[in-house]
Amino acid sequence: MEAVRFLVGAILPYLALLVFVFGMVYRIRTWLKLPAPAMTLTPAPPTEGDNKSNVLMETFFFRSLFKGDRGLWLLAWVFHVVLALIFVGHLRVFTNIDALFMGLGMSEQAIQGMSSGAGGAAGIIILITLGVLILRHVAIPRVREITGFADYAALLLIVAIIITGNSMRFGAEHFNLALTHEYFKSLATFGNIMGSPALRNSTFLVHMLLALLLVMFMPFSKILHFGGIFFTHQMIRKH
Amino acid sequence: MMTENDVKQKVVDSIRAIDKGPRAMQMYMEMCTKCGTCASVCPVYYGKGEKRYNPAERTDLIRRVYRKYNSFAGRVFGRLAGAEDFDPAVLGEWSKIFYECTGCRRCAVFCPFGIDHSVITRKGRAILDQTGYTPETMKKVVEISLETGNTDGASKQAFMAAVDFLEEEMQDEHDVEIKIPVDVKGAEYFYVPPSGDVLVNPEATMGVAKVFHVLGMADKWTMSSKCFDGANYGLFTGDDAAMKSDNKLYVDEAKALGAKVLLMGECGHAHRIMKMMMEKAGWWGELPFEVTNCMQWTAEHIEAGRLQFDKSKNPQRVTYHDPCNFGRSCDITEEPRAILEAACTDFQDMAPNRHENWCCGGGGGLSAMDDIHDFRMSISGTKKMEQVRDTEARYVATACSNCKRQLTQLMEHHEEEIEVGGVHDMLSRAILVNGKAAVRQDFT
Repeated sequence: MEAVRFLVGAILPYLALLVFVFGMVYRIRTWLKLPAPAMTLTPAPPTEGDNKSNVLMETFFFRSLFKGDRGLWLLAWVFHVVLALIFVGHLRVFTNIDALFMGLGMSEQAIQGMSSGAGGAAGIIILITLGVLILRHVAIPRVREITGFADYAALLLIVAIIITGNSMRFGAEHFNLALTHEYFKSLATFGNIMGSPALRNSTFLVHMLLALLLVMFMPFSKILHFGGIFFTHQMIRKH
Repeated sequence: MMTENDVKQKVVDSIRAIDKGPRAMQMYMEMCTKCGTCASVCPVYYGKGEKRYNPAERTDLIRRVYRKYNSFAGRVFGRLAGAEDFDPAVLGEWSKIFYECTGCRRCAVFCPFGIDHSVITRKGRAILDQTGYTPETMKKVVEISLETGNTDGASKQAFMAAVDFLEEEMQDEHDVEIKIPVDVKGAEYFYVPPSGDVLVNPEATMGVAKVFHVLGMADKWTMSSKCFDGANYGLFTGDDAAMKSDNKLYVDEAKALGAKVLLMGECGHAHRIMKMMMEKAGWWGELPFEVTNCMQWTAEHIEAGRLQFDKSKNPQRVTYHDPCNFGRSCDITEEPRAILEAACTDFQDMAPNRHENWCCGGGGGLSAMDDIHDFRMSISGTKKMEQVRDTEARYVATACSNCKRQLTQLMEHHEEEIEVGGVHDMLSRAILVNGKAAVRQDFT
């Protein structure tokens, strides 16, 4: 158990970060290096500036998908927005974002309330939307016939991450914010990582393991779409 | 003769080369989340919901080999990561599948990642071209085109005879001499239609001639007895070298004639290659002429009130089919409508229209392939037939010889008495020359 704790708690976080950063830098550099002749799809935004704002519309509001498939748009948009909120929520364990909220006039109690209320709801909503997204892959022939093992694997990995995350909020092995915060602090300062009580929570260990695997796969799988979307629309709408 | 190993090597090399760009194609190898949106907006998949017609699946044919050789995940996890080695035995099947995409780019409009499957289709076709697997019917069109300089295989004599015939026709219609100048050096405008608009559906060219005549510019334009077909099948076969050499003939001819304006006819892909590819990428350096389309040019004169019409000559309901290359690739959507609205009594748009219009089902060169007639009629053309029926139009105007051929066959196949023709065709029937519209003999 100690070995697992060491690998997942003390080695993998650094490895995952390295793989992710180098992977993404490599990816983006390759993209930027390649020739990008205009392949204009019209109507294209008339200026470079309009093109950039169109990319933002696509990235934050999935504009094309909105026109193409309203139902999928709703699911996908809710899923990604909640995902972003959950990411922001996780900043509580990585950073001292609480200080920022307090600076904005929130009491400690209010922050805690927001965290468990909004965070709890987010954990459930994302599980439901992801469930329906997966159901689409199984139930709709045009989606099923193009879905492969890797696609399901990525989806199920995310499901597992959500479930372990949720069970630390709703289940027996509840996470302790202060201790988790402490743990990430020791990771960042190369302190006494193994002495951190947060690592005694086995659900947390599993959650970490899966999440870090996802982080590592990101530059090498279709989850890369989160970086690519900033490029693809720009090229196709370039005048 | 290539051995099986040579073929495999060639295909694998070609797919590996995706990592050298263009950027879009390389990104398309990784970006797809398999959401199925492309299939739901694809005219082919609409016609028949089979796996082989699913755009994402067609693209995956290339992606699987790409993953095998170029992607980290594919090299490490193999089939689990969706990687597969290339087997030359599939080329026969590929030669069908890559000619079952009309390259209409409708998928690209709605894909959340802007994936343009037509790019991959063209890559697939380039592979077929390099390995000798281009479908025979398509090869034939290319051969005729290379041999005679036009896709109809017409000689210079045949072209001149057609021009004479059109001049006589216009003389009969209007009782005045309306010229179609040929090979006139120093003419300001050099008109390049698809050859079909001279030889098969010639009313469009008559329409253009009449506009020049009415504007008093009959001596300011010319056609070429050498270069009278803008069609360029290199775009469809994925053969860049052929596409460029075909294109160069026309650019050289425009220079030789000393034209100031290269006036492209009602041919979507020809206009796209000239305007969006050749001119934009600067294939031949600085050009002494500008490239514009006859529909843009005519619409401008209508807007300025220089052309008058007797709309009663076109009393039937008319709709407009946006050729994919004009609508989605060149942003020419309003001009044809302006011409039709000016020349027709009852213009009715189909739904959806403009940039979101459905493909006729014969795009990407498919229209010229007689061996896939059944596929075009009962699969790729299904949606278009429904759209046209819904408008209750009696005339479908479109600005593309391939669309016209496909639509004409669709109407015959589905036993609909709906006429198919060009945009300038309707103009030709209604435009006033010396205050009078054409007295037409019935062609139909």
